[in-house]
Amino acid sequence: MSPVSDDLLVKKSAEGDLGSFKELVIRHEGKVAGVIKSMLGSTEEAGDIGQDVFIRFFESLNKFRGESAVGTYLVRIAINLSLNELKRRKRRFLFFSSEEAGTKVATQENHVDLKEMLEYEFNQLEPDFKAVATLRLIEGYSTEETADLLQIPLGTVLSRLSRAQKKLRNGLQKHLNP
Amino acid sequence: MRNEDHQELFLRSLDSHLQENENILLQNAYLTDTLLSKNSKEFIQIRELLAHQKGQSFGPFFAERVINQIRVLQEEIEYQVFSFFKKYQLVVVGLVVALLISNIMLADTLTIKSIIGLEENSLTDTVTENIQIDLYQNLTK
Repeated sequence: MSPVSDDLLVKKSAEGDLGSFKELVIRHEGKVAGVIKSMLGSTEEAGDIGQDVFIRFFESLNKFRGESAVGTYLVRIAINLSLNELKRRKRRFLFFSSEEAGTKVATQENHVDLKEMLEYEFNQLEPDFKAVATLRLIEGYSTEETADLLQIPLGTVLSRLSRAQKKLRNGLQKHLNP
Repeated sequence: MRNEDHQELFLRSLDSHLQENENILLQNAYLTDTLLSKNSKEFIQIRELLAHQKGQSFGPFFAERVINQIRVLQEEIEYQVFSFFKKYQLVVVGLVVALLISNIMLADTLTIKSIIGLEENSLTDTVTENIQIDLYQNLTK
């Protein structure tokens, strides 16, 4: 039996069928979680933002015209809400405060492997760079898709990617060759 | 070209198609720029590590939590609408009664139409109005 299409699930959800909406959540949770956790870290608030993404989607089901795929639509909401959250953190001067923000950030002393160091450096990236790097390097979207999702020119994606990678490499070098 | 330019070209080659002359430039750079080869490996390693961070979830019962949250919100909205009407119930009833009383007081005759505020023209009124309009139009020609 072929699985029910996203479009049909959206239609049923818009009619108030929460079972169909739950199926959509299950299908797209991984994609949304990947984006949000890369942007905000594996924190409790990442889960809250994840819930917000799906609730906003539920609230806009009647407006959803299916011009883009459900996954793309959700990733766009996820990126926007994550960027808002990062800006909010920055405004509150909590961006670098791992304890208050609940962000799991490794310190220089307890780095145990390259992966953790990279995670730490990734968290230090500026939100706009982080968004591009998340979509292209972690989620594997093409540069064109990344530009479309973030609604920025392709050239901007390429330059942000380049700068993000250089920052990551320089950061890692500082840890490896202090 | 400096190593930084070669590096830039290399990074761009990972995310977009280079032009033919840029490709040749990059190939030549691999032969002449000793740092480029080392840097390229590091960048590729970083990208591979990042690519492996993919595929996470929000933990068990996430979908259930979302659905519960939606149910709570729906109940809240229903409750707010209900409370609004309950809160202003007396005011609304009072306004309707006041409107009906004022219509009754102002109306010459006590009919259903006069009570709910609809005009009730007699046949004579309508004919008289039409004659007046015709007369006015003839005079203004």
